[in-house]
Amino acid sequence: MKFSRKLENTTLRKLEGSLFIAPWVFGFLVFVAFPLGYSLYMSFHQVKITVSSVNYTFIGLNHYREILIANGSLLYEELFPFLRESAMMIPIILVFSLLVAILLNLRFPGRTLFRVIFFLPVIFSSGQIVQEFIAQGEGSLSIMETLRIDYYLQEYVPGAWAAPIEKVMSSFVLVLWYSGVQILIFLAGRQTLPASVYEASRIDGSGPWNTFWKITLPGLVPYIFLNLMYTVVDLFTFPSNPIVSRVNTSNYGSSSALAWIYFTIILTFVLVTLFIYSRVDKSLSGKR
Amino acid sequence: MKIVKRGNETVARLYSDDKLRRGLDAVKYRLLGAEIDKGLLFKLFVYVILINVAFIYIKPILYMVTTMVKDAQNILDPTVIWVPRTIFLGHLQHASEMLNYGKSFLISVSLASSVAVLQVFSCAIAGYAFARLDFPFKKVWGALLLFTFIMPPQITILPSIMLFKEFGWLNTFLPMVVPALFGHGLKGAMFVIIYRAFYSTLPKELDEAARMDGAGPFRMFFRVMFPISRSATVVVVLFSFVWNWNDFYFPSLFMFTAENVPLSITLARMAGEMKLAEGAGEITVYAEAIKMAASFLIIMPLLVVYLFAQRWFIEGVERTGLVE
Repeated sequence: MKFSRKLENTTLRKLEGSLFIAPWVFGFLVFVAFPLGYSLYMSFHQVKITVSSVNYTFIGLNHYREILIANGSLLYEELFPFLRESAMMIPIILVFSLLVAILLNLRFPGRTLFRVIFFLPVIFSSGQIVQEFIAQGEGSLSIMETLRIDYYLQEYVPGAWAAPIEKVMSSFVLVLWYSGVQILIFLAGRQTLPASVYEASRIDGSGPWNTFWKITLPGLVPYIFLNLMYTVVDLFTFPSNPIVSRVNTSNYGSSSALAWIYFTIILTFVLVTLFIYSRVDKSLSGKR
Repeated sequence: MKIVKRGNETVARLYSDDKLRRGLDAVKYRLLGAEIDKGLLFKLFVYVILINVAFIYIKPILYMVTTMVKDAQNILDPTVIWVPRTIFLGHLQHASEMLNYGKSFLISVSLASSVAVLQVFSCAIAGYAFARLDFPFKKVWGALLLFTFIMPPQITILPSIMLFKEFGWLNTFLPMVVPALFGHGLKGAMFVIIYRAFYSTLPKELDEAARMDGAGPFRMFFRVMFPISRSATVVVVLFSFVWNWNDFYFPSLFMFTAENVPLSITLARMAGEMKLAEGAGEITVYAEAIKMAASFLIIMPLLVVYLFAQRWFIEGVERTGLVE
């Protein structure tokens, strides 16, 4: 009797839960899973769209072969510089947003005003407006020209890396513009660290420098990785990046194949990130 | 006598030394503080960095506003860089005509706010289920949620277009609104994750108390859980509204031939037209001023919303913990 009632309770709970999650699951199946499977299907086919119908001819891996091997210019001339550029932008964004978040967390007069200003990029960076500003040259640093940094870069840095470095440096301001949400996440994360720990470390005579490295930074590790993931996803799905603009309606089959190749690269990035995170997390919790 | 005098001198010297040292100490204390982060030097350092970065963020806005009010005379005058001599509002008017501002504004507002409202409800429900309820294959669905978060929308965009075409939804707002109803849509996964993070921080006793008072699951959610998640809701509403307002990608693909389009599309169309005119040899000094005026018209509503919402927003960010 007791057993069956318990069973009933758990099924009832499961039923309630299912009821709440049902809309999301339905949405997932219709708007995510189905298109996902369909685009995978299309990537193996030659898709011909006529007025009345859509014709598919199976061509196997041809689209993939075309993009990866036969006609690799898109991948190797546009994607790889972009990846190198992101590889440099990501650490800059993370370090910068961490610094700003920690400064914004201090108590000083005018803090609210600064916070209001520093959340502005959250509003702008997602829109067309930023493109407009880039076009106006708002993203560049004038130091670049006055100190002739580009010249030194080309002289001393291997060719494959000089161009992306130059691009990142010349759009440095833009990098700062992309870090709005990251600042938010770090600030929110910093709030979760209890004040009592900081007090205790002060009483034990630790200076702010030590406190940062021994308390703040380890405490923020989950947020650093969350930000890393967010930044990777954000950079890679930004509509202005070279690959994304190639996914268009001109050729459904090969566009789908390209999207899948691209997605595989992102997934690898994220999985590597998660792997490193679990390692770091483990080693940190081992110490504790 | 002599000895006493010498003694006095020593004392005096000692005294002045002491005073000097105390003075130095006071200066040092002022500059460096009891700890590094309390002193004047550190504060100066903080302000220098913050003001510099704040300038970077504000400069484009200043540039936009000052460029947009310059008339021909001010644009051509090389001594005028930031502050125009006279204020000219003709560009604003011209831009608002080109953008078809009144209509597009209403469309943008209704689209962004309806998506935001729907996303808040649907994502809160899904996040609540993920955080506090039990359902079959919860782990699998959780993994799929993360998967949705990292998946670029580009990978599903083409089949989605075909799907919505099948439904006859192209060139309407339905492709943006209906997924939001089910907790998807633009960055829906991220909002679900925010809500999940928020609801999983609430104490278990809350459910129990509500359950003991006889609240059913729906009542509990709508009367207890949803109202206390105000801080998360503010963050999600603002993000959702702003991102949908700015979004260009989805509307450009789902309603490319539509009559009634939101502002982000009309801006792109306007830029295209101006480029075309430029290519045809119609070079005008006003081009930049008009572009800036158009940009201003598009951001201004967001700025107004943000100015009103920022207090709750910042509070919300601090209290939600925003993320796991």
